Amino acid sequence: METNTSAVATEAAPASPVEREVVIETRNLSKIYRDFWGRKKVQALKSLDIEVQKGEIFGLLGPNGSGKSTTIKLILGLLFPTSGRVLVFDKDATETRKNERIGYLPEESYLYKFLTAEETLDFYGRLFDMSGEDRRRRVEELIKLVGLEHARHRQLREYSKGMTRRVGLAQALINDPDLIMLDEPTTGLDPIGTREMKDLILNLRDQGKTVLLCSHQLADVQDVCDRVAILHQGELKELGRVSDLLKVQDVTEVHARGLSEQAKSEIAEVIRRHGGEVESIDNPTATMEDLFLNIVRESEARPGARRLSTAGDDPAASAASAAPSAEPSASDQPASPKRDGDAAE
Amino acid sequence: MTLQPEDFWSYGEWLLRPNAFLRSALLQGVVLTVLAILVGLVLGYLLAAARKGPSEGFYAVARVIREMFVFDLPGTSVRRVYALSRLAFKEAIRRRVLVVAGVFVVILLFAGWYLNPKSDDPAQLYISFVLTATNYLILLLALFISCFSIPADIQNKTLYTIVTKPVRPTEIVLGRIFGFAAVGTCLLVPMGLASYLFVKGGLNHDHAGIQEIEQQADGTYVGKTTYDRHHQHTFTLTADEAGNLEGVTDIAQGHQHSITKAADSETYVIGPPTGALTARVPSYGSLYFLSRTGQRSEQGIDTGQEKGDGGYGSAGLERLIGRTSQANRIEFGYVEGGNLSAGIYTFDDVTPGRYQDGLPLQMNLRAYRAHKGKIDRGLRGTVTLRNPDTGAASNALTFIVDEYEVDELMIPETLAGNDGQRNRDLNLFEDLVNENGQLQLEIRCLDRGQYLGMTQGDVFLKPRENPFAWNFAKAYISIWLQMIMVISFGVMFSTFLNGAVAMLLTLVCVLLGFSAETIYDVRHHIDINKPMGGGPLESMIRIAKQDAMTTELDVDTLTSKIVKGVDTVIVYSMDVVATSLPNLPKMVETAEYAANGFDIFGSLLARHATTTLAYLLLTFFVSYFCLKTREIAA
Ligand SMILES: Nc1ncnc2c1ncn2[C@@H]1O[C@H](COP(=O)(O)OP(=O)(O)OP(=O)(O)O)[C@@H](O)[C@H]1O
Ligand SMILES: [Mg+2]
Repeated sequence: METNTSAVATEAAPASPVEREVVIETRNLSKIYRDFWGRKKVQALKSLDIEVQKGEIFGLLGPNGSGKSTTIKLILGLLFPTSGRVLVFDKDATETRKNERIGYLPEESYLYKFLTAEETLDFYGRLFDMSGEDRRRRVEELIKLVGLEHARHRQLREYSKGMTRRVGLAQALINDPDLIMLDEPTTGLDPIGTREMKDLILNLRDQGKTVLLCSHQLADVQDVCDRVAILHQGELKELGRVSDLLKVQDVTEVHARGLSEQAKSEIAEVIRRHGGEVESIDNPTATMEDLFLNIVRESEARPGARRLSTAGDDPAASAASAAPSAEPSASDQPASPKRDGDAAE
Repeated sequence: MTLQPEDFWSYGEWLLRPNAFLRSALLQGVVLTVLAILVGLVLGYLLAAARKGPSEGFYAVARVIREMFVFDLPGTSVRRVYALSRLAFKEAIRRRVLVVAGVFVVILLFAGWYLNPKSDDPAQLYISFVLTATNYLILLLALFISCFSIPADIQNKTLYTIVTKPVRPTEIVLGRIFGFAAVGTCLLVPMGLASYLFVKGGLNHDHAGIQEIEQQADGTYVGKTTYDRHHQHTFTLTADEAGNLEGVTDIAQGHQHSITKAADSETYVIGPPTGALTARVPSYGSLYFLSRTGQRSEQGIDTGQEKGDGGYGSAGLERLIGRTSQANRIEFGYVEGGNLSAGIYTFDDVTPGRYQDGLPLQMNLRAYRAHKGKIDRGLRGTVTLRNPDTGAASNALTFIVDEYEVDELMIPETLAGNDGQRNRDLNLFEDLVNENGQLQLEIRCLDRGQYLGMTQGDVFLKPRENPFAWNFAKAYISIWLQMIMVISFGVMFSTFLNGAVAMLLTLVCVLLGFSAETIYDVRHHIDINKPMGGGPLESMIRIAKQDAMTTELDVDTLTSKIVKGVDTVIVYSMDVVATSLPNLPKMVETAEYAANGFDIFGSLLARHATTTLAYLLLTFFVSYFCLKTREIAA
């Protein structure tokens, strides 16, 4: 509980005075899984209080079995709370009408394996109030969006894990929802898919939609989420803005290009003179993600087998040389509007 | 086939039972619904209270009911139901249910070997075979597809992606029911067509030719066809001026052939069999008896076991006001030969318009021999036609009773008789039918000391026949209704049980429906304290001890008391359950109508359809509440 109040305090600090619309609200939400005879099996969630506001990307973090999926299912009305309440769009979570505005990507893609991608989307589309024309247009758009044009007429049983995941995502977006809940959206996706998924999530946020996602791919969460809640064994341990939570107050970072060794040592000297402590002055290494994205981009431009680096070649060097150009475009850019957004608040 | 009194009820009579409202279908339906609602409320409240506490539980129940009326029922959309039905359909097809059609074809292919071609009535054999095979196959199929679908969706979690769309529980249930009904229909239609062709083809045959023919003194030709397919026909041919011969054979194995021979040709042309496939539309009369001394009575003479054999109906609601069951069936009433006893049928609507060439009378009487008599010949009876008002009566027409077969008598328009004053030729419609179109038939037994048995349905006029194909289709509609019934029960159980258990329970329901009559009998015997084997526990002891059914149970008094007490509880509970379940055997009986060549009358189908609809609604609401209150992800 202490963690909870302190978390609320952290959150309260930068919160704008402008009233924001609350999309999801859980009050003292607890869930105990029981067996057939009503005996307690697990307490999966212990009095959770969170509020998700319109237009934000909210992340639920936590180790396996910490109650992330349970929370999402409670919000969807797939589970009933043992105590406490969940309000979604100010309605009780068990009301079906709220679903008109909700999209849900489950942990694993629970889809009908005997349908093709197109049939699947058409089926889910029919469950909403939209005209046949709208539905067909939407199915078309989504198949393109998730990149399954080539496999649209194949049954899902033949799909790879990532492909199924993509259909699952398309299915969640079929009604152009205002609130999207993604349970581990990036599992099973290749790095490009992951990148695209992250871009998509940011894109949705920019359209004014609310996204609730849970994941333990910390890097992904860090890239996209505005706020996160960290759960452990069903308890809320931390809640706040990602930028605030991750800011290390007493460390300063400087990025520069084209410095000579001479300059570096001078800078270290300056720091020392001001009473600071130099932790490291290094060349940055590119991430595996950058390397991978680079290779794929290259191969899409020039199809065919890639010439593998010979012993003399230093792969790290080539990656590093690619990195500076790749980084601002691929990695930093999507994140920057978020920071801008923060600044604007 | 013996028709029971309830078979004669019109739709309105069945629904309201003018003089016995307590036994009416409407009241039973209403009571069943009210009970279901009460049990549902109490159970729902208990469960909710256990989960949330007494007052919260009350609100939870109230909220569910409110949501049903305010959101879920009005919000149910045809489009979503259609989408879900299509899905259920595809899913079932993917589960290879079409194999059933293959199985059916194989059954038909091999059936030819096993259906006894020497039967007296091959049509009945063929028709009842295909209808029974279809019936059980389809019910089995319905059982399988309906029980496993929702549990599988919950287990594969595919239901997660559906219930998180604006889909109402009502739509999930209706989607399943309609989808499976569509699958069943898609199978029933081709099965029906195949059966029809099978029956048609199976009964079709030729006779190679004429075995013997001989000219009679009056110029007609009498002869016999060749012996084919285990039967031959005798025939009489008449010649026209040009010398062409023409005629029809007598009936053998339920059919006839036409025979013609052109004057300038040597060959006799024998047509295809006719009359085997009929749908007689009977016109039934009402029946009362005259006792040995000529007193009017509603029951005929009882020759022994008939009443006890007949079985006992469910006392149903009447039990609540302290009335126990009487014999439900009116079995055969008998008339004795050599005294005044007679069975008197009164027919309505006997008009020249309905009966153009005489009065086709059909009788299916039972013979009971109190002594051996003339063993090489059937019992003899007489029919007298009588005007109920004027007392004009025809002379008695004698006939010999063909047991286990329908006697056909064509009563001509002009009959010798007595108009009350003198003997003269009477006109059927003018002298023997009264102003209201009523005619009485008096049936007596001629052999002294022997008995003829009859029920209301056993003597009837046959104003017309309906096309056999339509009658066959009606039998299939009846199977379709049964299928809907099983599907809705299967779906209901599958909303709160796993697949295997749901199937088991549905099966139990079907079987309880089928054995309802037996349960009623056992209960009746317990009621009147008649040792007839007792309930399940007692029977088990008897089996173990190898005791006869009708002896006193051979255990000490206390044990006996306990055993009987337990049995009473079991049997009464089974009685209650069986009474609340649909009476499937009644619906299966339609197959017998078709097989025996009787038109399945409209009111019968309407009754079945109403019952099916009622149970459909009931199971629908139960399913709705189960799905609504179920934690899908638990
Ligand atoms: N249907 C269930 N029945 C019983 N216990 C369950 C059920 N579902 C989840 N649990 C338990 O509840 C706890 C929380 O599970 P949950 O699925 O919410 O975790 P999670 O945070 O999503 O984990 P992961 O990262 O592995 O997906 C776990 O201890 C799990 O064992
Ligand atoms: Mg999870």
